[in-house]
Amino acid sequence: MAVARSMRRTSPISLVLAALLAFGFICFLLSPSSPSSAVSSRQRQQDAAEHPLSPPTKPFFKSQQFRSDGVQAAPPVVHYNLNTLTSTSDSLANNERILILTPLSRFFHGYWDNLVKLSYPHELISLGFIVPKTKDGNAAVAALEKAIKQTQNGPIDTRFASISILRQDFEPPLTSQDEQVRHQLGNQKIRRESMSRARNSLVFTTLGPSTEWVLWLDADIVETPPTLIQDLTSHDRPVIVPNCMQRYYDTNEKRWMIRPYDFNSWIDSPTAQQLAESMGPDEILLEGYAELATYRGLMAYLTNGENLDPRRVIPLDGVGGTALMVKAEVHRDGAMFPAFPFYHLVETEGFAKMVKRLGYGVFGLPDYFVYHYNE
Amino acid sequence: MNRHHAYSKGYPRGGTFSPSPSRFQPRFQPALRRRRQLFQRLFLLGGVTFLFTILIFPSWRAAVLPALSLGLLSSSFEDLQLETVRYYDLSKVQGTEMGWERGERVLMCTPLRDASSHLPMFFSHLRNLTYPHNLIDLAFLVSDSRDDTLGMLSRMLQEIQNDPDPKMSFGEISVIQKDFGQKVQQDVESRHGFEAQASRRKLMAQARNWLLNATLRPTHSWVYWRDADVETAPFTIIEDLMRHNKDVIVPNVWRPLPDWLGGEQPYDLNSWQESETALALAETLDEDAVIVEGYAEYATWRPHLAYLRDPYGDPDMEMELDGIGGVSILAKARVFRAGVHFPAFSFEKHAETEGFGKMAKRMGFSVIGLPHYTIWHLYEPSVDDLRRMEEMELERQAREREEQERAQHKESGPSKAQDAADTVYVYSESDKDSEEGLAAQPAPHAEKGASNGHAKH
Repeated sequence: MAVARSMRRTSPISLVLAALLAFGFICFLLSPSSPSSAVSSRQRQQDAAEHPLSPPTKPFFKSQQFRSDGVQAAPPVVHYNLNTLTSTSDSLANNERILILTPLSRFFHGYWDNLVKLSYPHELISLGFIVPKTKDGNAAVAALEKAIKQTQNGPIDTRFASISILRQDFEPPLTSQDEQVRHQLGNQKIRRESMSRARNSLVFTTLGPSTEWVLWLDADIVETPPTLIQDLTSHDRPVIVPNCMQRYYDTNEKRWMIRPYDFNSWIDSPTAQQLAESMGPDEILLEGYAELATYRGLMAYLTNGENLDPRRVIPLDGVGGTALMVKAEVHRDGAMFPAFPFYHLVETEGFAKMVKRLGYGVFGLPDYFVYHYNE
Repeated sequence: MNRHHAYSKGYPRGGTFSPSPSRFQPRFQPALRRRRQLFQRLFLLGGVTFLFTILIFPSWRAAVLPALSLGLLSSSFEDLQLETVRYYDLSKVQGTEMGWERGERVLMCTPLRDASSHLPMFFSHLRNLTYPHNLIDLAFLVSDSRDDTLGMLSRMLQEIQNDPDPKMSFGEISVIQKDFGQKVQQDVESRHGFEAQASRRKLMAQARNWLLNATLRPTHSWVYWRDADVETAPFTIIEDLMRHNKDVIVPNVWRPLPDWLGGEQPYDLNSWQESETALALAETLDEDAVIVEGYAEYATWRPHLAYLRDPYGDPDMEMELDGIGGVSILAKARVFRAGVHFPAFSFEKHAETEGFGKMAKRMGFSVIGLPHYTIWHLYEPSVDDLRRMEEMELERQAREREEQERAQHKESGPSKAQDAADTVYVYSESDKDSEEGLAAQPAPHAEKGASNGHAKH
């Protein structure tokens, strides 16, 4: 009876508060007990920059230091030894840092979900996005920020090391993202030159001093193997590109099928070279258009039918950008996406040419698939 | 109802502030009280079970806890105090002619190799810059150095960042170390030899790209390239170049010389306008060839920025250029963001800074030089010059000795005639050999000096 009486005297609110406090205390005691997230937390904090003026591939501490006289401390002198960077076939064992870059004009949840599912340690992955300053772009950024908030406040292990969102400083030439209009031959040159500028703006401002691999992944790639990064890096090639496919529902056969999507990965042909020679200096050669029959060997059609060998590698002369793994040193040497006709090529195809001029090889995986969104 | 009871219970019976507490008392039913105790027990049991499950299944924690704690707890127990998301609007960092008033950030890039002797001079220039220091981010590349460039640089940077004057310290400071396995020697002679140029320029281009790509941020409006071996430059150089509001702009670069070499000389011959002759020449060369300016092997007849200098000309005068030198370049960051870089391959038969100018032009950016705005590169004597200087020193000593001897002869009269004859003999022979009239010195020296003089001109 005495107990009941004392219970009766205490207000239920203070009881609830006490319970909440106890609960919070227990949570606090429990939370660091998961060993993997403790390691990744420590690694994340060790890798973080002291000052907000730092490479975008690094997170930075929210609290800032002050000098003894109350003035905010000047940014520190930071040394980066780029001699220690590696990009090897065993990227996972060497803790190699990946920067995933995506030019974004529409946000697909499939893209983000696929990204979060990647099995490569997320504390080694930084993301970079570039979004045009248009109405569509604003909507895409809003959706992206929502997804980011969820992931970056979620479990530590699924959080990415850092994320940069860039807004483009030039107008995209075509506001229409409509598949038909977008792929018309006349519009292609302008569209792809603008795309090149967006890609260059993205890579050259976010690369930073610690990135070891750059993965270009388009915003409409909604399905890849979760081991995408490990698989692509394991070949240890300067530039390597998987085959980009699209799933579709075949109404005749009544089942889901796949068909080739990206035709920008190819092996050069004498016909194409002759065509290029006959062209004016400002003309470009495009793939996948009947007006320009190039007879190049397209990787999209070089799959091995039924018995696929995902580890089969072929040398290429042009690449597409839907999914593209590049060693950071190739970009650092200056390989960029030409926004002007470079050997009559632009964007990713011109990139492949520049990579070759810099003395690196370009390769493709005809039997390793990533999947494009079906509009 | 229940709640109301709970509150009223807290007051003492018949207390001063309670008007008539006794009125509620009889309504309190024991059955209700019992049921409430039951609820409390059930709640407690539920809570314990819940905690227990969480203990057993750690994977649930992350999913359940944030929701339960209404987002208040999550910040305290899972926050690493790290900011991971950054948002940048590139349209706000285009670069304008009044950057210092609009808080536009400048990235200042300096490649260094075995440069410890230049560092004190370079840092005095840094301290004197009038552009707001907090808006300047410094980036250094230390590559293939055999001296203490790195240690010295770190010490001097530390010192400047900890300066008691808060206006002295700079913004982000990055010191990049990267060795490219430089085979080419860095001394003046081999550095400027013609054969070494193409591969040397490609390596330099590579180094510049590595430096820029590692340090360019989405916050930069401008990029200023500045070599460490500039001896004299206006403190206001960044503002002076920025005022022109061009995509890429370079000043004229000369160097001072000793008087016997003419007092001054154009230094940077990489800033030029394209000529028909050079374009025709480019057509004939193979894909990997690199045209380097300032060598007799490639006579391009291009108008050079350096030769157009008038010491009394208008420093604001502009000149369109196609190739540029790298001693001091101010460029808008958007040029680099668009993809223009220093080609480490033969781009339109050019590499490095000259290729940079070409590529910027190709992408429609303006490339401008200021013929009458001059900065001065450090004069480092070449091997020839050093030899010549040594000879001149010897000549001077010989002359002094001779004068001394002559003075002695004047004092001691007797053997004067004999000696005078000797002297005359030397005079006449050296006159025959040397057009420069380097008299009063032993003949062999005069010969060597003269041939050297010819080689120079």
